[in-house]
Amino acid sequence: MKKEIAITAFKCKSCGKIHYPYHDRCLNCKHREFEELKPSGNAKLLTYTAIFNLPWGFDQRYLIIGVAEFENQIKAMGQIKVESVDQLKVGMKVKPSWEPVREQYGEDVYGLKFEPM
Amino acid sequence: MRDVAIIGVGMIPFGRRDEDTLMDMLAYASLKALDDAGLGDKSVDAVYVGNMGAGVLANQSAIASSLVDRLSLLPAAAETVENGPASGGSAVKNGLLAVASGYYDYVLVVGGEKMRDVTGWRATDFIATMTHPEAEYPYGITLPGMAGMFTRLYMEKYGVTREHLLAISIKNQEMGGLNPYAHVEMALDREGIYESPHAVVNNPVSADPLHLYDLCPVSDGAAALVLCPLDMAKKMTKPPIHIAGFGQATDTHALQERDDPTDLKAVSLASQQAYEMAKLKPSDIHVAELHDAFTILEIAESEHVGFFKKGEGGKAAVAGETRLGGKIPINLSGGLKARGHPVGATGVAQVVDIVFQLRHELPKDRQVKKAQNGLTVNFGGFGNNVLAFVLRRVEQ
Repeated sequence: MKKEIAITAFKCKSCGKIHYPYHDRCLNCKHREFEELKPSGNAKLLTYTAIFNLPWGFDQRYLIIGVAEFENQIKAMGQIKVESVDQLKVGMKVKPSWEPVREQYGEDVYGLKFEPM
Repeated sequence: MRDVAIIGVGMIPFGRRDEDTLMDMLAYASLKALDDAGLGDKSVDAVYVGNMGAGVLANQSAIASSLVDRLSLLPAAAETVENGPASGGSAVKNGLLAVASGYYDYVLVVGGEKMRDVTGWRATDFIATMTHPEAEYPYGITLPGMAGMFTRLYMEKYGVTREHLLAISIKNQEMGGLNPYAHVEMALDREGIYESPHAVVNNPVSADPLHLYDLCPVSDGAAALVLCPLDMAKKMTKPPIHIAGFGQATDTHALQERDDPTDLKAVSLASQQAYEMAKLKPSDIHVAELHDAFTILEIAESEHVGFFKKGEGGKAAVAGETRLGGKIPINLSGGLKARGHPVGATGVAQVVDIVFQLRHELPKDRQVKKAQNGLTVNFGGFGNNVLAFVLRRVEQ
């Protein structure tokens, strides 16, 4: 079953700046109240890399990771579902999903994945 | 505030030091610095130890307490300073402020890290714990991965090319070959790592678009300094090196929260503060040690500290302007790329290398003639905590 993207961003109630991840005070105006915001729509790929020297906890040959911006301006990191960076381009549209991104202590850890559209 | 001088320096060769514990390395570097300062059997008032991961990487905590005991510096004040890969720079800053305040006269600053006792993937994971625990770390991002994404943006925005990155790795490994303290002493063959069909094997992609030889090695090592008030240092036999300026600035934890991720604001701010305190300009600096954990960082930092305009650092490196004899020689120690990057040691080692330069103690093939002023930049996280120091030779 398709899972909802479980990321919450925070829009400052004073100046409107969007934060992800959470901060106790707005990075722009230091205000402390935020409106919770969910990522909406598809996203635009801002940058990406393929990592071949993986940290402990990943039993695979490489990982492709990038940062993308959602239609409502939330920016977030995620793994990218392609075989090679040759399939990617900065600025391309990507479709987000919420899937297992790693396993820790025998449990799946869920996170963002992007797939070129 | 009192002016503060460096009167003693010590470093041990970086690399894989299977025979030494972290405490051995800290002790060896410290004794060299104490001897270099001519302190003999005298003690110091305080000790600051820069270290990022002894609890995880060397299975030892509270290492400053252990070091003063080992060195018979009791009852000197002692503490460990942890600030990621800028731990060494932060230890120097703490020592500097302690002497400048007038509270302590003689301070030992030492930085060290033992990284090779654990497997590469454990070390990579430990370093990756610096990334944001919710927004970055779970995805498997590593610091080389961060650098790869940063490089892609820098290439898109400023036209940096692999040629530019190669100029850094070739220069720094060449200089490492001339530095007896360097981890990597092998000069690179351009054809073997770039032009030949074997390059894909010799120099594979590590964190696209960065290749193996764009990255610093994982090293063991330690370096140390002795500080005292400049007035007292003038009686010493070696030329005192005045810590004329320092600066420190921070930036967002998650890289994607920066308005322009190619703008290393903390590097600009820290270096501006250091220049201002020293009453010097970038053009007054004769030699620099920048934090080239990845080749792109030497290029980006050389622009952010004001040596070159944005987008010009890579071209300047290709033109030889950052080599010995160039406009501003950078990383004549080999930098992190070749001297190595034992994370807690690096910020101290950079200062030690500039002290060697300003004392005019190095062989001709690494010495900047008549160098008077030097700059160091120690880059923590992915630029979220940066320290800069301006050092000045004081003629006696």
